[in-house]
Amino acid sequence: MTDDQANRRPAGMAPRPGQWLVALPPTAFLLVFFAGPVLLLFAASFLAPGDFGGLAPVRQEGRWALTLDAYGFFFSDWIYAEIFLRSFVVAALTTVLCLVLGYPLALAIAQSPRRRRELLILLVVLPFASNFLIRTYAWIIVLGPMDLLYSPVAVIVGLVYVHLPFMILPLCINLEKHDPALLEAAQDLGAGVWTRFVRITLPLSMPGIRAGSALVFIPVLGMFAVPELLGGTRDILIGNLIKEQFLDNRDWPLGSTLSVLLTVAVLLLVGIAAWAGRPRESIS
Amino acid sequence: MVGRRRPGWLWVAAVGVYAFLYLPLAIVVILSFNDSLLNAEWVGFTTRWYVMLFEDRALLGAAANSLFIALVSATGATLLGTMAGLAMQRCRSGLLRGLPVLVFAPVAMPEILLGVSLLLFFRQVLDLTLGLLSILIAHVTFSIGFVAIVVRTSLAAMDESLFEAARDLGASAWQTFRHVTLPLIAPSVVAGFLMSFALSIDDFVITFFVAGVGVTTLPLQIYSMIKVAVSPEVNAVSTLLMALTLTLITVASRLAPAALRLRM
Amino acid sequence: MSGVRLALLAVLLAAVVLPAVAEDVLYLYIWNTYLSDETVHRFEAECRCRLNQDFYSDNEEMLAKLEAGAVGYDLLVPTGNAVETLLRRNALRPLDKARLPNLGNVRAEFRDPWYDPGMRYSVPYATSVTLLGYNATRLAELGLPTDTWALIFEPRHLEKLKGKVTVLNSQRELMAAAMKYLGYSVQETDPARWDQAKRLILRAKPYWATFSNSTYIKDLAIGNIWVAHGYSSDMYRAQLDARDAKRPFVIDFRTPKEGAVLAVDSFVLHRSGGRPDLAHQFINFMLDGRNAGDVSNLIGAGNPNAAATPYIRPEIAANPGIFPSEAESRRLEMLRDFDPQTRRLLSRMWTEIKVR
Repeated sequence: MTDDQANRRPAGMAPRPGQWLVALPPTAFLLVFFAGPVLLLFAASFLAPGDFGGLAPVRQEGRWALTLDAYGFFFSDWIYAEIFLRSFVVAALTTVLCLVLGYPLALAIAQSPRRRRELLILLVVLPFASNFLIRTYAWIIVLGPMDLLYSPVAVIVGLVYVHLPFMILPLCINLEKHDPALLEAAQDLGAGVWTRFVRITLPLSMPGIRAGSALVFIPVLGMFAVPELLGGTRDILIGNLIKEQFLDNRDWPLGSTLSVLLTVAVLLLVGIAAWAGRPRESIS
Repeated sequence: MVGRRRPGWLWVAAVGVYAFLYLPLAIVVILSFNDSLLNAEWVGFTTRWYVMLFEDRALLGAAANSLFIALVSATGATLLGTMAGLAMQRCRSGLLRGLPVLVFAPVAMPEILLGVSLLLFFRQVLDLTLGLLSILIAHVTFSIGFVAIVVRTSLAAMDESLFEAARDLGASAWQTFRHVTLPLIAPSVVAGFLMSFALSIDDFVITFFVAGVGVTTLPLQIYSMIKVAVSPEVNAVSTLLMALTLTLITVASRLAPAALRLRM
Repeated sequence: MSGVRLALLAVLLAAVVLPAVAEDVLYLYIWNTYLSDETVHRFEAECRCRLNQDFYSDNEEMLAKLEAGAVGYDLLVPTGNAVETLLRRNALRPLDKARLPNLGNVRAEFRDPWYDPGMRYSVPYATSVTLLGYNATRLAELGLPTDTWALIFEPRHLEKLKGKVTVLNSQRELMAAAMKYLGYSVQETDPARWDQAKRLILRAKPYWATFSNSTYIKDLAIGNIWVAHGYSSDMYRAQLDARDAKRPFVIDFRTPKEGAVLAVDSFVLHRSGGRPDLAHQFINFMLDGRNAGDVSNLIGAGNPNAAATPYIRPEIAANPGIFPSEAESRRLEMLRDFDPQTRRLLSRMWTEIKVR
């Protein structure tokens, strides 16, 4: 988004010493507290669990104690793959529902007069500003008497509710940039409301849809609190599985393996999405 | 108000979605005044749950912890994030080309992954006792990216010739930064601070993994209240927090409108 | 500049927060709803210190959090089998009995538990039975039995209760209930019998609403669910809550006739705790007859303390869900830790139970 502007700068400006001084602290911090831990997570997936929890020592009796046990455990059993698959279905369903609910609202906001737009967007942000646990709690109260609590429906409703603004805001940002002249021209050429939407608005809003979808889909995959609070006996997601290995089962290598596989899956998806949406002179 | 390009059904749908967004929260607010321990039906009006809140030491303690953690971690994240934003904008060669990946990855990945990675790191490498320090480090880590994005965006929108002019007039790098760059990016630095503050106050998932003895934060406390307690105290605390965020957002939208739009 | 103002604000805030840190604090990690506020206030007044409580709803959760590095708790309240684990881990501090003059109040039958003979590391605090809590009014209307595990395992009963039953989200407890219903010991090591229990659970599972370790308290009291597998003290709380809120039904609880799991929860000192002095003071305080009585009167837990007897209200002493009769006691079993092989087997079964 900002890259093209930045690229206008004259090329060949090598960083000067002062700039290294600026770059060093954040780089060092993130290397130690982000890159390091993520690599450790990867490494931990190849270790054995410790006797009481944590990890077994990397070197035992003078030998490297690396193992593929945790991966073997994952792939020997259809159960874990099934949870992955189910989580992806739940995440996809949540994304689609957010899109279906969010698009009309975003469109309505984008087409309202500019002065009112700020207020309408603020109205979307406001419920989003209270903690997601409170928003989940709201549904415990609403769904309890309706006999829907502890069901897959409750989980989906909760997930949609928690993530909806993530979809609406990028859509708004995209849709409000559309040039109304395009639609007017199409109308003058005799295109109906639906045709104008399908042929002009929708294709132009693809970058917004993609951004919104990524912002909903990826966080849902790692969610554990919503299924825990609203879900029934079968509603567990990858997030619950990972959390259980670390904070219940004390099987850190298996938890790490699940995390690594989740990362791989997310990266694959992001890669596919980026490939599908490679720059073709789009509005963003 | 139905315009030419705004079919009526669009507004019907929009109002429906707004209702979906607000009705559940409205019920939470209404029931916070309900004089019934179980909140199963409306019994009568009371404010006793609010009185209870202010006597609930565990909750007040958690709120104080959250506030303290948010202030400190937002300060740290703002410093580091601003530096990262400047570095990304200025140095685009050599090793620093990898910096954006390092900065944006924590923002993009599912929170739980950052939570368990940090837990592993604290336990296996640092052998750190989980507590205030582990939470502060975690919060700074996930906030840096947000600050960096805001700062970099505002830098990118600036006219490069300003900085060149300053240098041509003989200003040192520090002088240029202090008298030209900093005043220009100040609003976005403030926006970045407010954002990391809000992120820190709000975080549950990562904190859940790295929290330790005696440093319960507000979201953790709310979580354990939701899981166990029967009391409408949860409604009362939710209502108060909503009122507080409403106030903060109103104030922030006056002070730094950019913060709102960039919260995404 | 705003930075200066923020710094000032931070200093101000630190000034507010820090004094709270400086006082004497005893850190306690305990089951949720297992210590009454009244007792806490009384102790704090006596020791002029502050009691900081964190909560868990399963032994495994507590052990995992400690292993993850959340250390620094002075006192824990694990169940017998978890005491065993902590002792093997060498994570507990021996008790200084000279600082526990009230130790003599512990009932004779609790002084030599298999996990810690002679109470060298642990002092029994409360007992609870893992049993069934139910909406008595509803179940009477439906004509369902209340004294058997069949209520949560047999489809012929569950058909009338679909979506109205919760079971504990605890591998050990749920599997134990199934084993008891099948007439086996909870210490069984034969994989075939555990497999039978797993199949029993999987057959009943579609009728259950959810796995829950704590929310069943409020769900029973509100009326969202009608039968819950859980701890007797929690059922007592649900019963009181429903009564206080004048719900149009009665909550009751009962030990199934096939037998159940008995938990003896004890105070132990974690090695990482910084205030063993306060911890001993607290244990001794809780051993006092009146304070120990609170455990039964206010929490609804069984009592291993002889001095508490005169303080316990008669209706509580007479409640067989809290104080099991002689005959019932013989059908209760405590959980013990398994060897790694059985542990892995059960963990694998548990995942299958959660997913299928």
